[in-house]
Amino acid sequence: MPGKARVGVDVGGTFTDLVLFDPESGRIAHLKVPTTPRNPVTGVMNAVLEAVEDLSRVSVLVHATTLGTNMFFGQSGIEPPRAALITNKGFEDVIEIGRQNRPELYNPYFERPRPLIPRSRRHGVRGRIDARGREVEPLDADAVRRAARLECSSGVRVFVVSFLHSYRNPAHEEVAARIIEEECPGAIVVTSHEVDPQPMEYERTSTAVVNALLKPILSSYLERLLRELESRGFKGKLLVMQSSGGVADASEALERPAAFIESGPSAGAVAVAYFSKLMGRGKALGFDMGGTTAKASSIIGGEPEVVDIYEVGGRIHHGRLVRGSGYPVRFPYIDLAEVSAGGGTIAWVDPGGALRVGPRSAGADPGPACYGRGGSDPTITDAHLILGRLPSVLAGRLKLGRDLAEKAVKERIADPLGLDVAEAAWAIIRIANAIMGKALRLVSIERGHDPREFTLYAFGGAGPLHAVELAEELGIGEVVIPPMPGVFSALGLLVSDYRHDYHEAIVKRVGEVDDRELEEVFERLEEGAVRTLLGEGIPRDRIVLRRFVDAKYWGQAYTLRVPYAGSVEATVKTFHSLHEARYGFSSPDEDVEIVVARVEAVGVTDKPLIKASQAGTGEARPKGWREAYVGGSWHRMAVYDRERLGVGAEVCGPAIVEEVDSTIVIPPGYCGRVDALGSLVIRRG
Amino acid sequence: MVDKLTVELIRNAAVFASEEMGIVLRNTAYSPNIKDRLDHTCSVLTPRGELAAQAEHIPVHLGSMAIGVMNTLEYLDREGESLEPGDIVMVNDPYIAGTHLNDIMLLKPVYVRGRLVAIVADKAHHVDVGGTVPGSLGGDVREFLQEGVVIPPTKIVIGGRLRGDVIKLIAENVRTPEYFRGDLKAQIAALNVGERRIAELAEKYGVDAVLEAWDEILAYTERYTRGRVRELGRYGRFKAVDYIELDSELVPIRVTIELKEDGGVTVDFEGTHPQVDAPINAVYGVTVASATFALKSTIDPEMPVNHGFYRAVTIRAPEGSLVNPVKPAPVSGGNVETSQRIADTVFKALAEAFPERVPAASCGTMTNVMMGGYAGGRRWAFYETIACGSGARPQADGVDGVHTNMTNTLNTPVERVETDYPIMIIEYRLRPDSEGPGTYRGGLGVTRAFKLLEGKATVTIFSERCSTRPWGLSGGKPGEPSRHYLIKRSGERVELPCKTTIEISEGDIVYINTPGGGGYGDPCKRPRRLVERDLEEGRISLERAHRHYCYKPEKSSFNDPR
Repeated sequence: MPGKARVGVDVGGTFTDLVLFDPESGRIAHLKVPTTPRNPVTGVMNAVLEAVEDLSRVSVLVHATTLGTNMFFGQSGIEPPRAALITNKGFEDVIEIGRQNRPELYNPYFERPRPLIPRSRRHGVRGRIDARGREVEPLDADAVRRAARLECSSGVRVFVVSFLHSYRNPAHEEVAARIIEEECPGAIVVTSHEVDPQPMEYERTSTAVVNALLKPILSSYLERLLRELESRGFKGKLLVMQSSGGVADASEALERPAAFIESGPSAGAVAVAYFSKLMGRGKALGFDMGGTTAKASSIIGGEPEVVDIYEVGGRIHHGRLVRGSGYPVRFPYIDLAEVSAGGGTIAWVDPGGALRVGPRSAGADPGPACYGRGGSDPTITDAHLILGRLPSVLAGRLKLGRDLAEKAVKERIADPLGLDVAEAAWAIIRIANAIMGKALRLVSIERGHDPREFTLYAFGGAGPLHAVELAEELGIGEVVIPPMPGVFSALGLLVSDYRHDYHEAIVKRVGEVDDRELEEVFERLEEGAVRTLLGEGIPRDRIVLRRFVDAKYWGQAYTLRVPYAGSVEATVKTFHSLHEARYGFSSPDEDVEIVVARVEAVGVTDKPLIKASQAGTGEARPKGWREAYVGGSWHRMAVYDRERLGVGAEVCGPAIVEEVDSTIVIPPGYCGRVDALGSLVIRRG
Repeated sequence: MVDKLTVELIRNAAVFASEEMGIVLRNTAYSPNIKDRLDHTCSVLTPRGELAAQAEHIPVHLGSMAIGVMNTLEYLDREGESLEPGDIVMVNDPYIAGTHLNDIMLLKPVYVRGRLVAIVADKAHHVDVGGTVPGSLGGDVREFLQEGVVIPPTKIVIGGRLRGDVIKLIAENVRTPEYFRGDLKAQIAALNVGERRIAELAEKYGVDAVLEAWDEILAYTERYTRGRVRELGRYGRFKAVDYIELDSELVPIRVTIELKEDGGVTVDFEGTHPQVDAPINAVYGVTVASATFALKSTIDPEMPVNHGFYRAVTIRAPEGSLVNPVKPAPVSGGNVETSQRIADTVFKALAEAFPERVPAASCGTMTNVMMGGYAGGRRWAFYETIACGSGARPQADGVDGVHTNMTNTLNTPVERVETDYPIMIIEYRLRPDSEGPGTYRGGLGVTRAFKLLEGKATVTIFSERCSTRPWGLSGGKPGEPSRHYLIKRSGERVELPCKTTIEISEGDIVYINTPGGGGYGDPCKRPRRLVERDLEEGRISLERAHRHYCYKPEKSSFNDPR
């Protein structure tokens, strides 16, 4: 009889995190092992075997991987497969020209992402469908056949077919795909209308290309992982986290691998959503600070903001992906603002004599100066150590050299700026907070909210160090440090629902489309979604379906996602009022265009009932005292062991709370109390 | 005295405030120009109108905004108008606001406890501001009054009260009043956010601290700029000339750049052609923006630009010249085409000083295409700019099919064009053999062909580099020039000049070919591997490889895929 344990494994750049929930005991265990970039399966297996000896006890294993991202960042060992593109004649360069912009305005040495399919393997063939879906020129089937034969004989086994207006009429793509399958049996053939049936040829083609290239890589990875797991007795389900924050069966992942690209960071937002719901916090900001970056997400009413486009392999600037720096993928993904501010981020003085933090990072190797691995650049971690905020030994293993940190900050920052070392370290923290505050502002302001209305959930190894000071900077009144902040994202894997998103193009003005037509489209999409979820073992009564349309005023470039209100007329009304709410005005006399119909299908899972650790007591007793710098001066701080803080325990600043993989700083004037879930809830007063 | 950390926090906060204004403006704006093409800019200025912080949006607003606000404050002062709490001033007069009539600038004072702490300002490109042609750009105009409605600095909000009559007056003079109103609302919303953020800063740190911080921020930027120039360590005077096309005439733009040992820079356009009665004059603000762009790109792309930059850098342009005209010279195209050439000229002079840093010329045109007509009982109008080749770099090829220098706007997806307009795009691809040959070659231009599907239409092309070519450097050859033509339904082919307005009919096809970027270094020294890669990918022809790259295939000749 199979066991009941649920396991979440999140493969990050440096560490692979694992969280295990045993419903019988209600216990949650967690651990970290080093990631093995060349063969990530090894790291995953190391973690799993360290946590559970008998894999037959595991009923569900949820996995988040950055494999896809790594391929696009050119990591060795995962080269993309050779692929060919069949497209309209005269439009072979659409995937290279992109949206014609450059990713950096002022850098004369800018580069655009290298096209994923070289020009010599892009084949333009005659044949044209117009904007209304009518064939204006028949497909040159012979040309498709010749191209397929040529590429197949040169060893290409991945084909992408993308024709203009295929979202309206896929006939040419379907015929071409059939011909390729005939000419090159066994090849992977991806058509653009199947993957992303909506207008804008560059984004649709790019989505199809990314999907096609990831297919062989993800499938061999997941097959290997499953084989390894099964050889150790695993009989449960292997699920994969998607960028949308929902999980899906591994077999489903193989159909749409591009939906799984940024799954680790999404899991953190899912965990925040889960906790904020349990705690009854309507507006939550997720703040995830690790070794190289800090990521912010906003969760309103338990729902993370989900957007419809992402650029894989792209560059981040000022918190946001730079348009045109990566490869667009149109799958839903949880919106995260990211800034270069992590423990290893380097502080420096620029030619004008201003203190700057980032974007360069000392990474894991050599790491911060205090690691003693030869790093001489001062980092955020060094600043914390100098200010007495970090223990002298990290995670029970890594000894930190305070003298090294002081030397780096003195030489590179304090001396050039004429500050003493502590002031310089404090300045580093403040500047880092200003940068991270910006990411948090972005995810709230862009949704039209003020950060002050939110509760801040801080996690990741370094998040709890900054959380309270950051909240003060932003005027946020409440901070939550959830249990296990160091592996909180992995915890998100255990609390997420199944999710699938389907869409179909409409591209018609209101008046050209009637309720019946939309109803048919929705039913078609829902049928597919339900079929997929049933296939994943979700009972019908746990499937929740939601209908939306993307609409805009005619001539506008931006669409708004509008819940479908049962009829076109009612939905258009909703659109006007949403537009009014979001943009401050609406134009009821203007033509409204419905661009896309969407169905979001959720399969609700059983969530673990998380209980606070039983080890601690309701009364807080410091395990020691040390001098630390907060709020601009040195204080004698009480140091607590988080494990020993039971439900109801209260800790008031100035204080430091330590646990294995993170440290919480509570400045004077703030008090934290442990709630029933084991979270430390910190407020002023 | 305010401490360094506080200054740095205020500097960061001011930049964030300007970026947040940008988010609000983009989110609330109505027209695609702003929402999708980000043709807008937001900034925070000192009470004296010195630029303190600006969100990076579009290069042509960089620097021109600073001049616009200064000029506006001077104007108000002359008129005896004072800026009171809750006032908002609107201006688009290019001779004051610094770009062209389409760019409407709004500014608002920020008062805290009765003291003026800062001015917040934003500028956005409005789709239409009247004038002889839809979109208000180009056309056969002789003076700037033909280019649209001129708004001198005017209070549209007084003490928090919107002046509906003034808004109506302007709305009646533009072709798309609903866009005008929507975008104006967005601009006001952005100013209000900026005002709130700066007021919060003053509440938090104190009014005096913020005022002192502005001074320190400008001093910082001046130090930064001078520091960078001195680090480069090349001093002296460097000259260049390049040309803009006016019918069959070439109009010279001349520049002399002086790099001084104190890190100061002077850019002087003495010797540039006098202003002309065609819409290619660039107001001083545009000249400053274009020169600033070239300097920032060359010296340090990360360099902050605010008023402190202009304490280290002086930009002089003779009054009455093409690069600093006086009324009534028309100026709508100065923004889009002349700005490119000014940047080219400054780059060329900088290449004399820093041959190892400056790329060969990029294509030097934004290639504006405007079409409009009646179809299906509706009036339609379409405007876009088309990418081209960027110049080869000292250690790398130029980039194929990309927007360069003063523009970076997105293209309109083919599927969008074909859905919304009676146009079919026949071809949209890179233009092989258009690159400037070199050890490192220039980027390829682009071919885009438009077929009219219904009725008749007016097409205006406003482009450059038909009779001149994007120059190469260090032995690199120039890129191929622009080449536009019309294929009539009858099959007849008509060559089109770079600047033209024509009538076309159903079935006619307009072909636009944009220039390639200039090459860098002797093309015969280009590694054979790279020549063969370009051949294999069809980016150059075998004939071109022979003629320009000294390429001789070994034994069996290379199989030209085209």
